[in-house]
Amino acid sequence: MTYKLKLMPAAAVTLALLTGPALAQDKVLTIAGSGGAVKDATEQIFLPAFTEATGWSTKFVAAESNIMLEVETMLKAGNMLYDAMEVSASAYPTGVQNGFLAPIDYALLDPDNTLPEAAKKEFGVVAAAYSTVLVQRLDKNPEGRKMESWADFWDLETFPGPRSLKRQPQYTLEFALLADGVAKDEIYEVLGTDEGLDRAFAKLDEIKDSIPVWWTSGAQSVQLLSDGEVFYSTTYNGRVNKLQESGIPVEIMWNGGALHTSYVGIPKGAPNYEMAHEWIRVRTMRPELEAEYVKFLPYPNFAPGLFDTMTEEQAAQMPTFKANADAQFVADEEFWAANIDRIQERFDEWLLF
Amino acid sequence: MAVAGITFENVTKRYGAVVALDQFNLTVAPGEFMTFLGPSGSGKTTALNILAGFTGITEGDVRIGEKSVVQLPPEQRNVGMVFQSYSLFPHLTVFENVAFPLRLRGERGASLETKVRGALAMVHLEDFGKRMPNELSGGQRQRVAFARAVVFEPPVLLMDEPLGALDLKLREQMQLEIKRYHQQLGCTIIFVTHDQGEALTLSDRVAVMRDGKIAQVDTAQDIYDRPSTRYVAEFIGRTNLFEIEQGQGNGWSIAALGTQMAPLDGHGAAGRTLSVRPEKIRQIGQGDPDASIVFDARVTDVVFQGDHVQYQAVTSGGAPLTFQEHRGHGARLQQAGDALRLGFDVADAVPVQNQ
Amino acid sequence: MKRISLIWLLLPAVLLLAAFIVMPTFDLIRASIFDPDFTFKHFQRLVERGVYIDVMWRTVRVSLIVAVICTIVGYPVAMFINLQPKKRQVALLFLILIPMWMSVLIRTFAWIVVLGREGLINDLMIGLGMTDGPVQMLYTSGTVITAMVQIMLPIQIITCYSAMTEIDLDLMRAARVLGARRWQALTRVYLPLSYDGTLTGLVIVFMMSMGFFITPALLGGRQDMMIANLIEFQVQHLNWSFAAAIGIVLLVLTVSMILLLRWTGRFAFRRLLNVGR
Repeated sequence: MTYKLKLMPAAAVTLALLTGPALAQDKVLTIAGSGGAVKDATEQIFLPAFTEATGWSTKFVAAESNIMLEVETMLKAGNMLYDAMEVSASAYPTGVQNGFLAPIDYALLDPDNTLPEAAKKEFGVVAAAYSTVLVQRLDKNPEGRKMESWADFWDLETFPGPRSLKRQPQYTLEFALLADGVAKDEIYEVLGTDEGLDRAFAKLDEIKDSIPVWWTSGAQSVQLLSDGEVFYSTTYNGRVNKLQESGIPVEIMWNGGALHTSYVGIPKGAPNYEMAHEWIRVRTMRPELEAEYVKFLPYPNFAPGLFDTMTEEQAAQMPTFKANADAQFVADEEFWAANIDRIQERFDEWLLF
Repeated sequence: MAVAGITFENVTKRYGAVVALDQFNLTVAPGEFMTFLGPSGSGKTTALNILAGFTGITEGDVRIGEKSVVQLPPEQRNVGMVFQSYSLFPHLTVFENVAFPLRLRGERGASLETKVRGALAMVHLEDFGKRMPNELSGGQRQRVAFARAVVFEPPVLLMDEPLGALDLKLREQMQLEIKRYHQQLGCTIIFVTHDQGEALTLSDRVAVMRDGKIAQVDTAQDIYDRPSTRYVAEFIGRTNLFEIEQGQGNGWSIAALGTQMAPLDGHGAAGRTLSVRPEKIRQIGQGDPDASIVFDARVTDVVFQGDHVQYQAVTSGGAPLTFQEHRGHGARLQQAGDALRLGFDVADAVPVQNQ
Repeated sequence: MKRISLIWLLLPAVLLLAAFIVMPTFDLIRASIFDPDFTFKHFQRLVERGVYIDVMWRTVRVSLIVAVICTIVGYPVAMFINLQPKKRQVALLFLILIPMWMSVLIRTFAWIVVLGREGLINDLMIGLGMTDGPVQMLYTSGTVITAMVQIMLPIQIITCYSAMTEIDLDLMRAARVLGARRWQALTRVYLPLSYDGTLTGLVIVFMMSMGFFITPALLGGRQDMMIANLIEFQVQHLNWSFAAAIGIVLLVLTVSMILLLRWTGRFAFRRLLNVGR
């Protein structure tokens, strides 16, 4: 076992020290992912199954910040510590553009071609689907009324009361265009033009004063709803269960939600490229494991036959449930990767004035 | 310069159960140099702080001149004060330190300049105006503090152990300076110290303080020569104290010396002790005139002090005593163990109260 | 010989500074002008797009307001503590320090509980009939400033206090007996002598405020953006060079503001000493 002694950024050094003992045993797969509930569920369900299937042990590193930042640092230092990792919806195009990801070998992963096309990307396999959706406090709604479209969100007369959106243009401007009558499949076409952008911001102008706060983290959006700071807010579909469990009457509006997919991928220079495919197989192609996982978190993937394991009621909470999926649009991460810089500046300026 | 006297009338200051000043009465004449002398906790600093206005009083009245100052804040009392730690303003130059009280009194321009220069000249620091206090020696700071305290010609000057932080030589030098300033300025000075030498050198009168009361107030010479109590006699200089009893007839018997003497005043011996200063006891030998009280003693210790010698001795009655001899021409040094005949004049013996 | 050996005492600090401050700073400068070839395009973008300049200016303004309020509020508190008996001083300082054991995040959340639409104050006001509906206090600039002041105040108080402990309190008595009223003793002696420490406190609070991040994000409205929030966005999107450029401008701005504050501070100090002359 040899270490390359190079001057490397402090973060990578720390990681090397942390993971050092694990490397010493050789047959260890290092996986990076987000912390919290995702980490707990992964450790309970997928990691033991992987060890059982391969005999390899695992090391799960909960990334403190953006995993892509860490990968970039390791690539620069010439010492890749991760074998596989979560790749969020917005990180995927960044990873691809910067060449941080290794291509998936589908001949190795799925020789019988059981995964649906929707699950297979060149540099990652869909690990989870989730949605950015509108959530409303039913108890704050006017008698007998309930928001059913983004037009309702913009209807300040029928639905007065404070609202919140995420403090970023992506999955915000789309909603504005939908409220303004743009068809789901034309959103990004319209948004790609200057006039379309103007139109989206003009629509946002209409409700600017009814948005006291723009949330910056999923936890904050939930807190805003639960404290009654706002009556309506976008949030991630997986956060809603917790709210309901704590007795707060909230409901998801699937109509016009943004559907995202996150991936499991392999960083360039991963020490165990082939074994990483075994991990991807366990993570994405085992419906019985995934069925356990979605009991924790309603973030399903495309494991063949997953929906056969669920009750109708359970299935209806999934973003990829047919009726839900049909009501939503698929968020175009490539569009945002290409345009975020420019649009974010305009968005910030719009916020300031 | 206007000069004012000071009157303390039945002043009592209590801190809770602690009495810092107890029925304090004192009148200081205009232009007088009065020293409050006493150990720490005797109330001397309290009395000074009451005058300055830093401390209120529980009962009584305090007047500067004819005017009661009890209700006045410090800034309206128009007294100068020199602090033990000098308390020069570190952010101001020497000139501005001295100018400080003048500016507060609305002094401006040439008149201010003249007064500050004058005060600095008096303390021989004409050329130090631009310096900062931390660039001065201890003695120089002391002088600046003095100049600042008198530049506005206050009728009363308070000095709180002003020489305490100086070394011995400088202290003696400054004592002479202060005497000179007093003669020059003519203001009333209240000087607080625990150093009896300082008190005797400087003062017109000394108030010896004890437990918030005045033990004795008198001229320096009378305090030394005629202490009224045992406490004062012991606190000022050295002394020998001999128990006295009412003897046969009207006389007093001094047990320690195995002798008797005629009563010195109309009062009895009861509750009193005889104080005799060491320099008043001398050897009685061939050719020396006799003294009124004579006794035998043996030298136990010899302390050579240059111009004089101090002897410890034991009387034949077993009482220890101290005496002192000036080394005039031909004076022979005694050795420990030498037997001597000693004596003193009754005029030099002072009966003091046992307090 | 002695002087040379004493220099070694500084070695650990110098190494630490060199490794973790100086080198990264140079790296930051490098990153801002090489992408990968030499270019000024990032600085150009900074200047051309109004939003960055505007947010910088807002950041400076908020930091200055926070620093000044901390000084105005903290100075009398520090003075009050300094004039207490020694034992009580220790107890009071302890109380001042307690909030600093809590993370900034928790202290920020506390404000949400207090100022929210359904928070303590609104509940109270509605209960007392002072207002019909909840008053929007959260997500305003006022709340951001209030919370930042609350977080920074202990730092200002402690800095002021430690400067004040150097003041010989006999100087105040000296000033009084020499003819100064209470406020004159304060302005001519106490204030000048605690001035430097207070100015240092103001500068520290200003400096720390310039980098504030969580509090404006959680308590602020849409307009309460701080420059650190913009840097964070650029880092999240791997725009290292542009993030570095913003960082450099923030650094330069902060340092120049500190110099300016010190300079105006000195000027004001001289004016202060001239009062009554």
